[in-house]
Amino acid sequence: MDITIYHYLFIGLLLFLCGLIGSVLVKNVIKVLISIEFMLMGVNINFVAFASFCDNITFDGYIFALFYMGIGAVELAVAIYIFYLMYQKKQSDSIDKYSDL
Amino acid sequence: MIDNPVIFYSASFLLILFVLGALFARNIIYSLLCSVVVFFLGALFFYVLGSEYNAIIQAAVYGLAVPVLIGISIMFWHNGKEKEKRAEKFTIPYITLMCAGIFVLAFVYLVMMSVAMVPDTFCIKELAQVNAFDNISVFAKGIFVNYVWAFELVSLLLTIVIAGLSLFKKRGA
Repeated sequence: MDITIYHYLFIGLLLFLCGLIGSVLVKNVIKVLISIEFMLMGVNINFVAFASFCDNITFDGYIFALFYMGIGAVELAVAIYIFYLMYQKKQSDSIDKYSDL
Repeated sequence: MIDNPVIFYSASFLLILFVLGALFARNIIYSLLCSVVVFFLGALFFYVLGSEYNAIIQAAVYGLAVPVLIGISIMFWHNGKEKEKRAEKFTIPYITLMCAGIFVLAFVYLVMMSVAMVPDTFCIKELAQVNAFDNISVFAKGIFVNYVWAFELVSLLLTIVIAGLSLFKKRGA
């Protein structure tokens, strides 16, 4: 059986759903950030899959994925720094304690 | 582009397995290690899809730099005395039910694909055939010609982030 675009879209969907479930259900702040990165990676897989299967000329999905990776890494760094500053006051890594963010 | 079902299915299985491990591991270090594996498997998917440049960036940024950043933050966060011991609310049956749901979805999808119930008109038959040199030239043209304004905006945004964080730290948050 050949591997089609649907396979990659489904893997991206699974990854996005797992990240969404994790970001909603898990209480640890670091795990929430990791879950968000999983969601971003699922979206990136979709971008690259569409570029590879349906765009033979400009490959715009590659460029979008590249931008997305850079922005996602910086967003993670900023979020970790903000949570670290709040951790010094809260002394807890539970996301419930950060409701006044 | 590598069209190999063995690589795809094995990598997909490992990806979902390590994603669940990263989300539901009790030890945060194990969770971080699982996430590293997930990021490298994502790079493998990019490579299989024919985007070597994205694969390298994914492996370098998310496979190496981001886990180091998260590891350092874990070291800082757990340096002090932990005041509360949280009880784990998510029990084993709940996780098992969620995993079973995900795998049932995957199974149904694969059965549908095998009996060709999904319309095939969406996918273009002609696959991308690019070598490494064309890949880099496509990136260069995309970033510096087609999306040069987006590139400049992202650069400006990252500069603002650096300046904002510096001010944030200077004021003591």
